[in-house]
Amino acid sequence: MTATVSQPPAGGRVLAGSVGVAVAAVVLWEIGSHLSFVIPPPLDTARALAADLTDALFLVNLRETMLAATAAFLLSAAIGGLIGLGLGLSRVARLLLSPIVTAMNGVPKIVLYPILLPVFHLGYGSKIVMGVLFGLFPVLINVMTGVQQIPSVYWRLARSVRAGRWQTLRHILLPAIRGPLLTGVRLAISLSLVGVVLSEFFATKYGLGRVVLRSYSAGDYPNMMGTILLLIAVSFVLSLLLWRMERRVR
Amino acid sequence: MTVRTKPPASRKATALPKARRTVPGLIGAVSIAATVGWIVLGGILAEAGVRAGWWEPDVLPAPSEILPVTAELLRSPDFAPDALRTLQELVFSCLFGVAAGLIVGVGFWKAPGVGRVFEPYLVSFYAVPLVLFYPVSIVLIGINQWSVITLASIMTAVPVVLNTWMGLRSVPPVYLRLAASIRCSPAQTLFRVAMPAAAPYVFAGVRLGVVYALIGTIAMEFTTAQAGLGYQIRYLYESFDAVGMYAYIVVVLGASVLLTAVLEGAERLLLRRRTVR
Repeated sequence: MTATVSQPPAGGRVLAGSVGVAVAAVVLWEIGSHLSFVIPPPLDTARALAADLTDALFLVNLRETMLAATAAFLLSAAIGGLIGLGLGLSRVARLLLSPIVTAMNGVPKIVLYPILLPVFHLGYGSKIVMGVLFGLFPVLINVMTGVQQIPSVYWRLARSVRAGRWQTLRHILLPAIRGPLLTGVRLAISLSLVGVVLSEFFATKYGLGRVVLRSYSAGDYPNMMGTILLLIAVSFVLSLLLWRMERRVR
Repeated sequence: MTVRTKPPASRKATALPKARRTVPGLIGAVSIAATVGWIVLGGILAEAGVRAGWWEPDVLPAPSEILPVTAELLRSPDFAPDALRTLQELVFSCLFGVAAGLIVGVGFWKAPGVGRVFEPYLVSFYAVPLVLFYPVSIVLIGINQWSVITLASIMTAVPVVLNTWMGLRSVPPVYLRLAASIRCSPAQTLFRVAMPAAAPYVFAGVRLGVVYALIGTIAMEFTTAQAGLGYQIRYLYESFDAVGMYAYIVVVLGASVLLTAVLEGAERLLLRRRTVR
């Protein structure tokens, strides 16, 4: 995300510090769990999560959520990338569509869920569409802005070496927008997951969102906390990997 | 959403601005007209679809049925408590989030080592995944506006922190040397030199933060709450009142489009004033 500032090598000390922050958070959590009975202790949470991960039904729920989130992410990247490319390349399309894209981006997509539900039904369909609605816009807007910001000399180069349309896309356009594209993809991964889990809070048969809400209403807080942390950890690790890739690209 | 960490000023530098500069008013008018056109077209399609029986009216009622109910809703006394609840949550989250974001962002600029230690967390919780902590928040705080405000404030703060920090880092060093050479106090350097120079980044962060506050607030109300616009949509859905639910959906969509437009306008104004100066 950094623009031009020269980054000193992110040495072991920064890493140690970041790990230290996580450790401090766990310590604070432990202290908190002694102060309030509604906070499950970290150890209980870890145990609940470990037990969940050997439970067949939990694994079905886990697989359901991850499959839906993966599908939603792939669709958002593909659809967002294509629309973003089109809008980035065509000024007329941008003129006609970019305000509505900006407006849609600011809309809380969750309110559209009751509309999706009867159309795409309870199973995978409505979850995936919700995940796509969440993940689509970061890819779309980043690709659009990225393509727009390609220096015009790149296009002249493409013309001067008589690059075909495909070659221009492959060798000039994609490398030129890989930074914003990666940013969009990174955001889309966690957003698709959130979209899927939020729809599972609402109505579904299987899925971790449902597990979280059920543990909440049953007062089984270690289980609830463990499941939430599992979801957060998945999105955290994936975002972090992509973020490091992004920094290497720039 | 989380996208434009770089303010649009840089775009102007690279794009070919000739045609734009001549008729910016016209271009804006075309864009606005196109947007209104799309919305009207969508409305006509929805109306035609119900009339032609492409779908059942309880799936998507006709706009001619929804809009009068929306107008009635806005005047009814039942509307105010939910709207005020959402507004209150939104305003508090934006205030707390932006204030905390600015303070932490400046802090990270002053102590970059600390900033880099926290950076991976900020980047990967950017910012919507925090909604997943809502069940934890209601266990800790209770089902009331404060559990929403707490999380929505953090969601707002994250982009403000990252953008403020990045904006301050991208201030040309010569500005700071100038400030030092004329013996500005640290406060003067920050408020008169560094922050104004970083303003486009900071504002882009605030804009993202406000949008997140709205998205988060509505999503959390929708999940579980006692009041609020998001809660009403969920409630009316579960009581099979399709027209009433769509009236609230129209209100939320309208309010968020209005908010986006206001933020966009404010950003343009800020950037224009900078280029004039």
